Amino acid sequence: MVGTQTKTDTGRAAGRRRRAPDRRPWRARLREPATGLLFVLPMLVLFVVFRFLPIAGSVGMSFTDYRINGQWDPVGLENYSRLLSDPVFLASLRVTLVYAAIYVPLTVGAALGTALLLNALVFARGLFRGVLFLPYVTSFVLAGVIWRWVYEFDGLINGLLVKFGLEPVGFLQESELVLPSLAVVAAWRGFGYSMLILLAGLKSIPTSYLEAARVDGAGTWQRFRYVVLPQLRPVLFFVLVIETIAAFQVFDTIYVMTGGGPTRASYSLVYALFDQGFQFFDFGYAATMGIGLFVVILVISLVQRWLLDRETK
Amino acid sequence: MTAHTQRTPQQWALVALLAVIALITVAPFLVMLLLALSPPDVQSIPQEMPSELTTDNLTGVLSSHGMVRWTLNSAIYSIASVLVILITATMAGYAFAKKRFPGRDVLLWSFLATLMVPFQAMLIPMFVLVTELDGVDTFWGLIVPTLANSQAVFLMRQFIRDLPDELFDAAKVDGASEWWVFWRLVLPLTKPILATLGVFVFLWHWNDFLWPLVVAQSDEMRTLTVGLATLHGENVTTAELMAAATVSVVPCLLVFWLLQRYLVNSITMSGLKG
Repeated sequence: MVGTQTKTDTGRAAGRRRRAPDRRPWRARLREPATGLLFVLPMLVLFVVFRFLPIAGSVGMSFTDYRINGQWDPVGLENYSRLLSDPVFLASLRVTLVYAAIYVPLTVGAALGTALLLNALVFARGLFRGVLFLPYVTSFVLAGVIWRWVYEFDGLINGLLVKFGLEPVGFLQESELVLPSLAVVAAWRGFGYSMLILLAGLKSIPTSYLEAARVDGAGTWQRFRYVVLPQLRPVLFFVLVIETIAAFQVFDTIYVMTGGGPTRASYSLVYALFDQGFQFFDFGYAATMGIGLFVVILVISLVQRWLLDRETK
Repeated sequence: MTAHTQRTPQQWALVALLAVIALITVAPFLVMLLLALSPPDVQSIPQEMPSELTTDNLTGVLSSHGMVRWTLNSAIYSIASVLVILITATMAGYAFAKKRFPGRDVLLWSFLATLMVPFQAMLIPMFVLVTELDGVDTFWGLIVPTLANSQAVFLMRQFIRDLPDELFDAAKVDGASEWWVFWRLVLPLTKPILATLGVFVFLWHWNDFLWPLVVAQSDEMRTLTVGLATLHGENVTTAELMAAATVSVVPCLLVFWLLQRYLVNSITMSGLKG
């Protein structure tokens, strides 16, 4: 969350000043904590039952062979040793890394490019911003359904290719093409969000900086490289992190478009987890995969954080 | 400089470039719509263009039992979630922002910490839990587990924290009950942010897929996204499939059209992510 940390301390300071000389009777003094707790209670119950319990359950189940019928035996670290030597899991990790390596630059590049164009525009900006953001309000399932047809042999792209006398391409049938093809769908659906964040970041760069650079004779590229990019760095980092996390959670488009194929070429981490849980009903092992997913995302985020810190020093 | 004098050739070139990008962005939607309005024999757009358009696919889809049922399920899932999250998140946000009670900060941060755990990592234990509680293929089993929303609580808490304390103090001096303060002061004062949050929660749930896929398994309980995903190959023509897709996207476009302002502003301000 960027930008929400402003103005946070004034409310607290005012509250403290007002509350200092509290000589009310104990019933009145209990009223505030009691109402506070009562107001939090509904959300608290929801969090305890449907967040804290599942998180604890996830860890607990990873040490068992929990089956669909609810029966289980403790198996110690067996699931973890299986995970680290499971060729299917390791292949899904590789698929997800390759997918992220395509999806993240593609999405952030598209978002940055369109944000720069919009920022340079002096009229009709709202119109274009709205149109480019449009795919973001639709579902990945819808994107998958439309693009599955767009990629088909008698679909939009191959239709155009054939029209120009070219050979049709099996976008979802060839293992080298399936991940880029899926990344394009998710990038199309998602780039509008990062575009808006980057656009806000661009708008917050003081125009005096750009003017000063212009006066000093800096060209468009130099202004971008030495003024815009350094100023945009925190926002760009935020966008990179959220898009990376999104890439590692890819599932919906794969379910709709490829089912993990051809021959597991698009079998992602979440798809592997889903398969273990709801095709093989091996819940203990699927929960362990969930912990694997959590650790992978955590490590990637920490590495990104570390890289940013190192560069800013 | 007025806007008129700024319309230089450079600006028009920029507009032309953006127009091309915008066209590529909306092209998949246009193709979807064109296919949905095509007679059933048209299966591919650039090669064979429909000679006439028809609404048969759309009316056919809208009168099929499955589609109506799924749309209804998605509407119940989304609207119920919006209502409950708006009220419970505002209550919690109000308490976190304006009340002092033991464990307040620990609770808030433990709510936020759950954001670090991807939903997919909780999927299996959540499903086991809902199965144990006999919630599979029920509305409550579908809805209730998705209501614990830290972003909503945090957003409301940040917004309410910036409201002046004097407003609430004045009401209390007048002897107003806490419940009255909540319904008559907090909710009306948070209207703009509630609209934003409502749009997001609606879109999150309307477009949600993985949770409905595992927990609403029967044909009667499927949501629109799950239904749409299963339509593939089952004796449906491309035209019918695209008609169903068109129907599924209408509420999103409507919400976007009406509330774009709230959506765009909140993203640029707080970085809310679905």
